[in-house]
Amino acid sequence: MTSVISSRSSGKGPAGYWNRVARDKDKLGFWFILPIFILLLFIVVFPLLMQLYLSFTWWTPLEGTPWYMAWESFNWGEYYLQMVMDSRFWGALWRTVLIMIVAVPAQFFLGLALAYLFVEQFPGRKLFYSIMLTPMMIVPAVVGLMFFLLFQGTGPVNAHLGLSPEFSWLTDTNRAMISVIIADIWQWTPLMFLILLAGMLGVPSDQLLAAKLLGGSNWQNFLKIILPRMKSVIAIAVVLRAVECFKIFDLAFIMTKGGPGVQTETISLFLYKQTFGELEWAYVAAIGLTILIVLSIIAAQGLAYMAKNKG
Amino acid sequence: MSSIQIDNVTKRFGNFTAVDGLSLDIKDGEFVALLGPSGCGKTTTMNMIAGLEDPNEGAIRFGAQSLAGMRIQDRNIGFVFQNYAIFTHLSVWKNLAYGLEVKRVPRNEIDRRVKAMAQRMNLTHRLDQTASKLSVNELQKLAIGRSAIVEPRIFLLDEPLSNLDAGFRAYMRAELKVLQHEFGQTMIYVTHDQIEAMSLADKIAIIDKGKLMQYGAPLEIYNNPRNRFVANFVGSPRMNLIDGELREDAGSLKLMVHGGAEIALSGRVRKDILDEQRHAGVSLGVRAQDIYLGNRRAADDIEMRGVVEVLERVGPRRLAYIQVLQTIFLVIDDQDQLHVGDEVPFFLPSEKCMAFDLSSGLRLGAA
Repeated sequence: MTSVISSRSSGKGPAGYWNRVARDKDKLGFWFILPIFILLLFIVVFPLLMQLYLSFTWWTPLEGTPWYMAWESFNWGEYYLQMVMDSRFWGALWRTVLIMIVAVPAQFFLGLALAYLFVEQFPGRKLFYSIMLTPMMIVPAVVGLMFFLLFQGTGPVNAHLGLSPEFSWLTDTNRAMISVIIADIWQWTPLMFLILLAGMLGVPSDQLLAAKLLGGSNWQNFLKIILPRMKSVIAIAVVLRAVECFKIFDLAFIMTKGGPGVQTETISLFLYKQTFGELEWAYVAAIGLTILIVLSIIAAQGLAYMAKNKG
Repeated sequence: MSSIQIDNVTKRFGNFTAVDGLSLDIKDGEFVALLGPSGCGKTTTMNMIAGLEDPNEGAIRFGAQSLAGMRIQDRNIGFVFQNYAIFTHLSVWKNLAYGLEVKRVPRNEIDRRVKAMAQRMNLTHRLDQTASKLSVNELQKLAIGRSAIVEPRIFLLDEPLSNLDAGFRAYMRAELKVLQHEFGQTMIYVTHDQIEAMSLADKIAIIDKGKLMQYGAPLEIYNNPRNRFVANFVGSPRMNLIDGELREDAGSLKLMVHGGAEIALSGRVRKDILDEQRHAGVSLGVRAQDIYLGNRRAADDIEMRGVVEVLERVGPRRLAYIQVLQTIFLVIDDQDQLHVGDEVPFFLPSEKCMAFDLSSGLRLGAA
């Protein structure tokens, strides 16, 4: 008892300080999270700030100036202006969005239909379930290679469809994009299926039964009971896939290298080429930062929607 | 509205026979309770009527119409689930309207019927709220209203009162009876609570291990149980059932009770037993309400003596546990005349005693 009183009265020493910290729960918590906070600072905040800093300069690794001296070539945001004027950037952005607005809805509807099939028990369900999930387990680069081989002029797709070897997929200005989208749909429909199935299984079965007994057809019950109850799961799945799709790189890189010309060049491919081809790292920093902000806004909208429709 | 014939229906799940050759004839507008202990097959029977399960053998008919192969959606059955299965993501209005909307009833007609049903169920002030905000009692009313609004030809209720608090349960019991009158619909009610069944139903079907034990009006079942299971299951407090072996010597018939006591049988129950072939094992049944204390009222009544072990207050009366050697008799003490530890005489009225064959469980004599 006396020791507590004395340590409280002589609270200036180091022991007294820690005693006070231990009593003050908020402060104690702060000390516990401090290490991870510093770690986060280095792996997230520091690179972001560095990127922001570089994006306002003409700095490139070719000149031998260390990055922290980049301020010597400060350009007042010239690269942002260049980006707005860069038709190749806008082309890449448009193609990325195109992949997203075709592939994600396709994955959603396919995944939803498959999930509806898998809600019921049927013989071989477990086996088909495992097979269904395989594509998303494969490394995207390997999927890219598979579809690269499938879509060759002398490949199995043409052979199966009875098309001549001259009928090209990956080097045709329109069909190259279609091929990449097909590959993405093939690989990522299973993820959509998995998430949507989990959501669908969460719909209380007795409510579905009640809806049936009230005379609702399967289609009516699906629209009025199952879908509304899956709202937040659907939002999660779509936001997740949309953001992932925006970053598409490996598939397109292996299948077409962004070609023919720039016909399948997505934002990630464009940035890659800028980084290792043109070595304009500061320009890449400016674009990367812009994309990050746009994606964050999309994700935040999705998450806000989910929060609003909770339950 | 419809009558229901359940004809020799059997339902098996793997090796387990849930319902075993069950036959029931339910008349149009009747309120029938399926009563039995947990796992006796009453819910399976109900599910087969609703079409949620298909019988392995036998047939179920609504009037003249066979149910075999008919889709759930087309059966037009009002089903109230034990946990109500309310669409909690929809408003109360939408819940009530569901069965009408899916049948594409005109808007103004839906509007009129939903309002009327809400009024009837006391939910008008809740119509625009999400159903998830309702209390358990309101959920119950909504569940019944949602089924009733489509005017189903029969109503199935699966232990609908078991989640309610005691006060509301009593109210809802009365309410259900009134509703059944108003709707004039055939209702089948599954319960394991015999008091609920006794107070609500026109007829009770008692089921045990998938088999129909007895089917009849509540009082008929109470007064004339056809076998030992029914006698034991119906009535509160439970019927005294004293198991023993018969012994005849020098013209007198005695029941040598397994606990050691001897009961000299006389009067009607003696005749009941003697009418049948000799049964070695017999169970003597007599309700606590029928056993009396004090002085003998009829020459044939069987006199017993025992020690009062426990007195338990049940409402205005007391329930006495009177021990005769190893056997306990439940006796109603309605004048607070007994004391724990007293040795008292009591009488089993011969007219009210029932005898059951111990091996088959069947009632002996009068039926």
